[in-house]
Amino acid sequence: MENYINNIIRPKIQGDGGEITFTSQDGDIVSVIMQGECSKCTILDRCINWIECRIEEDLGQKVRINAIRKKPFFWDT
Amino acid sequence: MAHIKVTRRSMRPEEYTDLRFGWLKRYIYEDKTEITTFTIREARQTSEMKFEFYDSEPRNLNKGDMYFSPDGTAFIEAYATVPEKYKGKEIRFCLKTAAEMIVKINGKYAGGIDPNRENLIINPFIDSDELHIEITAYNRSKPDDERNPESLSVRGCRQIFEGGYFGVINETVQSLVYDLELLLDISKSECFNEDLRHHIDKELYAALDYIDFDDIRNEDVRLASEHIQKYIYSDNRYKGTGKVALVAHSHLDIAYYWRRIHTVQKNLRTVLIQMRLMDKYPDFRYAHTQAYTYETIEKFYPEVFEELKEKIRNGQFEPVGAMYVEPDCNVPSAESLIRQCLYGQTYYREKFGITVDSCWLPDVFGNSWILPQILRKSGVKYFVSNKMSTWNDTNRFPHNNFIWKGIDGSEIYACVPPTHFISWNMPSQVQENWDAFQDKESDTETLQMFGYGDGGSGVTEEMIELMHRFEKISAMPETRHITAHEFLENNFSDNKELAVWDGELYLEMHRGTFTTKSDIKRYNRMLEYKLRNAEIVSVAKLFAGEYYPAETIKKNYKKLLINQFHDILPGSHITPVYRDAIDDYREIEADLDKIVNEDTGYFFNSLNFKRESITFIEDEHGDITRLGKKGFYTIPNIPALKSEEIKQNYPDDNWISINKTIETPFYSIKFNDDGSFAYLYDKKLCRNWIKGNFNKLHLYYDYPGTYDAWDILPDYANKEEKINIDSPVTLTYKNGETAEFTTILSTKKSKWQMIIRIFRRSRAIEVENIVDWNEKHRLAKVEFAPDILSRELTCDTSAGFIKREMHKNTSWQQARFEVCHHKWFDISETDAGIAVINNSKYGVGIGDDSVTLSLLRATIRPDPTSDIGHHEFTYMILPHTGDAVHAKINNIAFEYNIPLIKQNINIDMDFGELYLQGLKLAEDEKYIIIRLSEQNGKRGILKDIGSFAVMDMTERIEFFADEYTYKPFEIITLGIDIGNFGRFIKFTN
Repeated sequence: MENYINNIIRPKIQGDGGEITFTSQDGDIVSVIMQGECSKCTILDRCINWIECRIEEDLGQKVRINAIRKKPFFWDT
Repeated sequence: MAHIKVTRRSMRPEEYTDLRFGWLKRYIYEDKTEITTFTIREARQTSEMKFEFYDSEPRNLNKGDMYFSPDGTAFIEAYATVPEKYKGKEIRFCLKTAAEMIVKINGKYAGGIDPNRENLIINPFIDSDELHIEITAYNRSKPDDERNPESLSVRGCRQIFEGGYFGVINETVQSLVYDLELLLDISKSECFNEDLRHHIDKELYAALDYIDFDDIRNEDVRLASEHIQKYIYSDNRYKGTGKVALVAHSHLDIAYYWRRIHTVQKNLRTVLIQMRLMDKYPDFRYAHTQAYTYETIEKFYPEVFEELKEKIRNGQFEPVGAMYVEPDCNVPSAESLIRQCLYGQTYYREKFGITVDSCWLPDVFGNSWILPQILRKSGVKYFVSNKMSTWNDTNRFPHNNFIWKGIDGSEIYACVPPTHFISWNMPSQVQENWDAFQDKESDTETLQMFGYGDGGSGVTEEMIELMHRFEKISAMPETRHITAHEFLENNFSDNKELAVWDGELYLEMHRGTFTTKSDIKRYNRMLEYKLRNAEIVSVAKLFAGEYYPAETIKKNYKKLLINQFHDILPGSHITPVYRDAIDDYREIEADLDKIVNEDTGYFFNSLNFKRESITFIEDEHGDITRLGKKGFYTIPNIPALKSEEIKQNYPDDNWISINKTIETPFYSIKFNDDGSFAYLYDKKLCRNWIKGNFNKLHLYYDYPGTYDAWDILPDYANKEEKINIDSPVTLTYKNGETAEFTTILSTKKSKWQMIIRIFRRSRAIEVENIVDWNEKHRLAKVEFAPDILSRELTCDTSAGFIKREMHKNTSWQQARFEVCHHKWFDISETDAGIAVINNSKYGVGIGDDSVTLSLLRATIRPDPTSDIGHHEFTYMILPHTGDAVHAKINNIAFEYNIPLIKQNINIDMDFGELYLQGLKLAEDEKYIIIRLSEQNGKRGILKDIGSFAVMDMTERIEFFADEYTYKPFEIITLGIDIGNFGRFIKFTN
């Protein structure tokens, strides 16, 4: 899962100025940190849903992504 | 008695006008018919024209479906029949989207749709009842959306498809909407007279009263328009002043929040949109920059290129900007900036038969003092760059239309427009521009650029429609929509009223871009000189009967120039842009290595002066490791442009003694544990060089705010990270030439090894830094506080030096607390001083009594991973006699940056004190081009090299001569007939 997120999902997220970092997996809950543009995206839930679908399609695992936004201080208003 | 504030809660008249304006916009379309046959294939772009598809087959795309994915491109298509009822009318294809779409109708490029426009006219492309609609759609979460507030709500990687339609516009309603856009902007702007604004509010309110918004009828809308015509447009009691030139353009970052590969389509979309506007509005003129963008159209979309050439011929589409891309103008060397012009102008001449006479750099982060000469000698008369007026954080730049005097005294007409280069042509923006214009007395117009940008897009129908109404507003300045060339020619040529600015165009912002993404800067510097060496070697080989790899060199030069774009080289971009740049650099290096070095025991000195400085020679048998390579130090003593063998000598290592002090032939030294110097006594000059921190590493807290990668704030030094000394400085190696002292430092997250090298035969002190860097919001600097009384810091510009005041007397000096330099800086008294020479660093901090060299940053926007990882770099501290010129610091810095080449080449040419900046085959392959640069501020005569052509920098012959009298800091381009050049060269395999 960590490899998949780092090598398959991450480059695509980075392509839009975002950043995703795998932190842990607890059963079917996968926790990730979202930075960059993702940290302030108002429709991030759509993207998270897309990641869940990709994981199911590519890895055959049904997971729920727990996305933790890490906003830079200058956007944290 | 308590004060009770009276607050109006009922709707104000202006609010009711806004409300009705919103209602009116719903009736812009007379009719729409949904297209229900869309299919989509989602993909990701992998190169300029290649895509990795996620779906093997297209899927249906219906209104309400989710589409796009992160970093996604979508291929959407539909077959549809134009409704019978639309025949004979102007039909539009309509699709509201946050994405950027290129639309083809029946195989022809019809135009573009993006967040700034939601429809395009399709009549010219209807050649059958059934239409085949093909869309290449590219979705970005791009920051420039913020300039269009309506698109903010739909920003993000996953979008909801809002449907595609055929539509017909109600021109009566549309026209009134434009009137309202224009007039509401005036009524809400404090730039305009309060009475006028009240008058407009009152009459708009009255005009809209003609319309029953429960039953909108065209005749009522017409009455509203007539009311506006009669009571606002025909009322010329409010008089405006000023003259504003409106020039359409679109700022297109080659890479920024997107990769270079995506810019191919961004550019196509932009060009198509502007050409379609020219079809609809014959008076519309549009300026487009960067030869590279034209090149991509030609290469990937030849049919569009043919149409583009026609639009250029008829004067509607105007190439501006003589350079290949819009480069950063701080970090690139003089030769790189020359090549930007050479390859840009060569392209314009070959393809369009024109020489572009403007340099168009609206967004660059300050401009080096060397530019005027380079531009003037590249066919450029006019320089345009916006940021100093709108982004300076301390001082108001005092001119907008002026003459810029360069380091060598060359003068160029310069325009720093008063307002932002991205505007949407609203009356308030035009008025604001005139109000901010500082050269009103020069009897010139002020330049207002308009068009959306950063990622292209450009002008909209709305901007043109509003512009056509400007003359009806007597309160506005007089406006003219003209080409960039017309503006520049009309206002600058022979204008005696223009003021002169003599100095660099320093931007009081974005000071961090001299340092951010250190790997990119390191590669850029190294490859600039490797390209120089590759060309010199190739010329030599040409006369040995070998093939001159002109295409390979040009291809790689252009690749380097693209990566000098002003959001690549400065480091202000997202992670994939960094990766692309590094991949490019590695490819360039690999290509050039095949040209430059051969398996020979000889070393060629490509510099046109004798190498007398301490030099590291790579040798797998060497016992010193520097920057990851084995080798040894020596003083080569190889004459100018000659080749010799070099062997490692093994003299006694008793030249150094270490007791309380370290004693060398030149110095008595005491180190502090962290590698800084406690004492540096010069035995020959009988002085201690140190007054404060010297070679002292600092990690400052670096929180510049939203412009994270761009900025360093003036108070950065207020707080710093504690640096631990894991291993105090100690002697770790010595031989007969060199001694190495090493300290290991650390923070909680990073490790920093510093190796200090002192030498038996050189006054130089080299410091190598090996860093595992894992910081966030830290700025690493090394500080030098020498015991030198000087008010000036001398900095290399790559083509001469600039002196900057070290005091903080005025706000102008205070603002220049961090400046850009190239290979060296120097602080000197009359008879002695200290230079610090680097091979990959550009940022210099000017303190009260000290100077800092900026080493590394750790920013998180736009790239959260910026600079994290392993770094290795060196710099050299050089105490010297005399000042920097007397001490030949510039030559020593060239030796430090330009390695010896493994070749056996000998060239018999003497250019005196001029630096051989380049030696290449001319683009037309008829001449050998010699580029010489005077870098010490001296005059002289070049002679004894036979007859030559004196050329401009784009290799056009100006005259023939046998000798040439040059001025201080002049760059000279000579051409020697290829048939006569062989006599200078001896090449031995």
